[in-house]
Amino acid sequence: MTTFNFDSKVPPGPLAHKWDEHRAHIKLVNPANRRKYNIIVVGSGLAGASAAASLGEMGYNVKCFCIQDSPRRAHSIAAQGGINAAKNYPNDGDSVFRLFYDTIKGGDFRSREANVYRLAQVSPDIIDQCVAQGVPFAREYGGELANRSFGGAQVSRTFYARGQTGQQLLLGAYSALMRQVNAKRVELLTRREMLDLVVVDGKARGIIARNLVTGELERHAADAVLIATGGYGRVFFLSTNAMNSNGTAVWRCHKRGALFANPCFTQIHPTCIPVSGEHQSKLTLMSESLRNDGRVWVPKNKADVKKNPNDIKEEDRDYYLERKYPSFGNLVPRDVASRNAKEVCDDGRGVGSSGLAVYLDFRDAIKRDGANVIRDKYGNLFQMYEKITAENPYEVPMRIYPAVHYTMGGLWVDYNLMSNIPGLHVLGEANFSDHGANRLGASALMQGLSDGYFVIPYTLGHYLASNTFSKVTTDHPSFAAVEGEVKKHVASLEALGKKGGTKTVLEIYRELGKVMWDNVGMARTEQGLKLALKRIPELRQEFWNGVKVTEGADGWNKDLELAGRVADFLELGELMARDALDRSESCGGHFRLESQTPEGEAKRDDEKFSYVAAWEFKGVGAEPALHKEPLAFENVDLAQRSYK
Amino acid sequence: MIPLRKALSSSVGKKFIMAFSGLCLGGFIVVHLLGNLALYRADGAAFNLYAATLESFGKFIIAAELGLIALFLLHAISAMLLKLNHWGARPERYSVVKSKGGESKSTLASRNMIISGGVIFAFVILHVWSFKYGPGITEGYTAAGGAHGEIRDLHRLVVESFHNPLIVSAYVFVMLLLGGHLWHAFWSGLQSFGLTNPRYTKGLYCLGSMFAVVLSVGFLMIPIWIFFDLSTVLLGAIK
Amino acid sequence: MSNTSQSRHSMHLTLLVWRQEGPHKPGSLEKFTAKNVSEDMSFLEMLDFVNEDIIKSGKRPIEFDSDCREGICGCCGVVINGQPHGPDRATATCQLHMRTFKDGDTIVIEPLRAKAFPIIKDLVVDRGALDRVMSAGGFVSVKTGPHADANAILIPKPIADLAMDAAACIGCGACVAACPNASAALFTSAKISQLALLPQGKPEAARRVTGMVEQMDKEGFGNCTNIGECRAACPKEVSIDFIAKMKREYFKAMFAPMESAAGDGGA
Repeated sequence: MTTFNFDSKVPPGPLAHKWDEHRAHIKLVNPANRRKYNIIVVGSGLAGASAAASLGEMGYNVKCFCIQDSPRRAHSIAAQGGINAAKNYPNDGDSVFRLFYDTIKGGDFRSREANVYRLAQVSPDIIDQCVAQGVPFAREYGGELANRSFGGAQVSRTFYARGQTGQQLLLGAYSALMRQVNAKRVELLTRREMLDLVVVDGKARGIIARNLVTGELERHAADAVLIATGGYGRVFFLSTNAMNSNGTAVWRCHKRGALFANPCFTQIHPTCIPVSGEHQSKLTLMSESLRNDGRVWVPKNKADVKKNPNDIKEEDRDYYLERKYPSFGNLVPRDVASRNAKEVCDDGRGVGSSGLAVYLDFRDAIKRDGANVIRDKYGNLFQMYEKITAENPYEVPMRIYPAVHYTMGGLWVDYNLMSNIPGLHVLGEANFSDHGANRLGASALMQGLSDGYFVIPYTLGHYLASNTFSKVTTDHPSFAAVEGEVKKHVASLEALGKKGGTKTVLEIYRELGKVMWDNVGMARTEQGLKLALKRIPELRQEFWNGVKVTEGADGWNKDLELAGRVADFLELGELMARDALDRSESCGGHFRLESQTPEGEAKRDDEKFSYVAAWEFKGVGAEPALHKEPLAFENVDLAQRSYK
Repeated sequence: MIPLRKALSSSVGKKFIMAFSGLCLGGFIVVHLLGNLALYRADGAAFNLYAATLESFGKFIIAAELGLIALFLLHAISAMLLKLNHWGARPERYSVVKSKGGESKSTLASRNMIISGGVIFAFVILHVWSFKYGPGITEGYTAAGGAHGEIRDLHRLVVESFHNPLIVSAYVFVMLLLGGHLWHAFWSGLQSFGLTNPRYTKGLYCLGSMFAVVLSVGFLMIPIWIFFDLSTVLLGAIK
Repeated sequence: MSNTSQSRHSMHLTLLVWRQEGPHKPGSLEKFTAKNVSEDMSFLEMLDFVNEDIIKSGKRPIEFDSDCREGICGCCGVVINGQPHGPDRATATCQLHMRTFKDGDTIVIEPLRAKAFPIIKDLVVDRGALDRVMSAGGFVSVKTGPHADANAILIPKPIADLAMDAAACIGCGACVAACPNASAALFTSAKISQLALLPQGKPEAARRVTGMVEQMDKEGFGNCTNIGECRAACPKEVSIDFIAKMKREYFKAMFAPMESAAGDGGA
């Protein structure tokens, strides 16, 4: 364990003035000089697309890489609920400070004050920006923007576009990006997967990407590299993340020296549609707004779990959230709701064929408001539920279960969103910076756009203007060397099929997911984490000893792509377990059974663990080095979260 | 501003041409049917007088005819160009095609406008050739025309033609195709011009369908009426 | 009602799947049998399931595109028994579940077909044409930075709602695949309409419709003949009223003021 020797570059001065002061004093790049700089943006979600569009607009030469066929597919599109902003339109007492406080408290005091404050500070600008772009936010009859409360916040600060806010914000950023593509300021490279980072003289100077259509490896050189590739939740195999979401880009950066911060901080969303069988490929989230009207319960008696829920009498139902948390009831934060669902299911009171589900019941709401009111509010969600389960939630209670949804951990970045490798910047879910140990609802969209539209355009200029750059082209020997390593890696993946293994990549992947879910999931113990640390290397060994992989690296090959991603997850999962083991406190989404209050809530240990755990890669299977960035809280009191 | 040539050669502009020419031709058909209603009378005087009156307009009628031909050719040529474009737009066909129903307006008629249109095109040439340029005064088809003096007995020609079962069935068949064509055409023409609105889209489509039915039945009943001499039969039955 | 029960049936299906090695290679339908398919599987999970067997037997799996698998990203999309995204209305392929089919069914699976969507492999097509149509004007030309307060311009709720109806398009290309003429009118008109309805998009409405229609034509899509099959196949039920709106916008653009040849100049 070493002490932290990387500067987080948080500017001095009072919290509220840090960002303004910083912006006023950082260096700028002359507009005429901007076209001389080449920037690589990997990822085209909210963070990537907004960054690429903004930098292109400013005059930089931008290349934007996208793993799907179009930037509009990025998984930001699936966010349903909304985006927070401290606009205080409803005049209900919101302010920048309150949004900052809620976010840092929601993150259980494991994030950097200055970053979170800046996020709250730029949040109103994001809404102005999106409206100017033509994002069709929901409106009131008077023509003003509509707001709703979300995720247990006590103010209505969430802006939304039906249940498709992520889609509309992404399409806004995408359209800004396509405008720059049209203006030839951004070159869009679709169906490319970044497979490695090229570091020259200690600075990030390019990437090696694989063209997923032709299979060719490509070299791309630049003066700075921006990673905006999202989270790594698919390490759990089953999650609400998209099929193409993966951890490869961040993991490769990590292996090239970038620190990985708080890898174990994972958000498990309480309201997802339960697993229906072994065939399940991913999970579908139902907006947590459902908890505004639905009541969560399980039968009091184990004998009732297979009964038709409508036949279970009122007195035989356990509305456990309302019972345990009388003041927040069904609206407790995500981590609390998830953990309690797991608890009752572990107790043998889970429902559905697998016993891994709880009821979310709208019976009383329908009785109170009528089916039409409920249909107006949640019609599309009810429809989606029925499509997937063939059950009518107007008549039978929904069955829900928690699922992995978001990773708060990610590559370590300083206040300027730069990692410890100069020139390598990390944006959005891919970095660790703003959500601490638990992300509040409607904050992910806010962070992605804040990083891309309002932070990186300033801080990247500062980096470029404060450094001198030797001329590096793709002919530089470093590119050849890294490309050679990637080529070897791809070839060894392709050769796995010839080693006589009988399992498919998917089968190993499912096993990894199960190890992760059982031991590094909602409730973690020293014993379980140690088991995971034993099982993951074994699985990795089994994988490299031979699995069925479809041959053909010289063209489109989904199976081979997956093999590469699983290979990286088999390393990343181990780091997550190690981080979780090391952090023997509970905080936010990280719940260690050994550290709980008498009431069974997460118990922080601020004395020992008030730090960011930034891990340094030391080789596959070798113990990584832990660097600690201490967290100082000058503007908030560290309180035990209570939602009683 | 979009230059006119560029506008009219775009996919939207081409449809403006189709819709404009189509709607004009639709107007012509209405007028044509109104005139031909005279054929429902067994006595040919009214019809012959109508035909003679049209002829008497001289240069004006020639100009109108040329205009019609131009519209007709414009409609047909644009249609063929569009169809060529459509074949090019999907060179490899599906092995199975099935409509998803619902609000789709995919019908046998709407998917085969080029076929109904092609048949109508051929029909119009034959129709003009057999009536306009068919036997006239010199061949002895004369009738008394009052102020017009001796006029062509077009009515006789029509009645003679429509006693041939082959011609009658051909006419009925083509008029059914015309009905199908118009079924889609009326709504489509308005939609191409953007003259539809969600509030009355359904109504317009219904109106278009009714328009098609009335015109198609109005035309196809003429040969049937004459073939079976229905005016005599029906009037006889009433008497 | 007692549908929380466990009595899920499994079925055996025959699949006829379009197989094509690459863009300019010949393709044909290949027959596969899918055994023990659970009715709880999504259509794509059924394909995953079949692929597992294919991979185990050392053959090349069926290639298809998919990403979010919750019906919003627009990545997936195949033609199932002649219908884009299969028989269910308002449903993307990833949300189609196998309970829609019966034991013993034969299912023909083809790619979205259009000249503008070249086949990459099997069921995977290149829909870059739609991106290029977007880049030809599907945006509001505003810089990133400070703007007037979001509430400075009021927008009537019905207008905002209508714009949202148009904006719901997920760009999957099912409209093109369903159209007998392979026209992209529904896709293009949805974006044109969304931005033409909102005050923020109005200033460059003429430029937008001109550019997007021109690009749409260049990409080799067919013409809209108002058949409306696109609307029936659209997983988001985007209305063809927006196509009418596009026509009106185009007509207006024909008479809009000309752009100055002198350009913006600048002092």
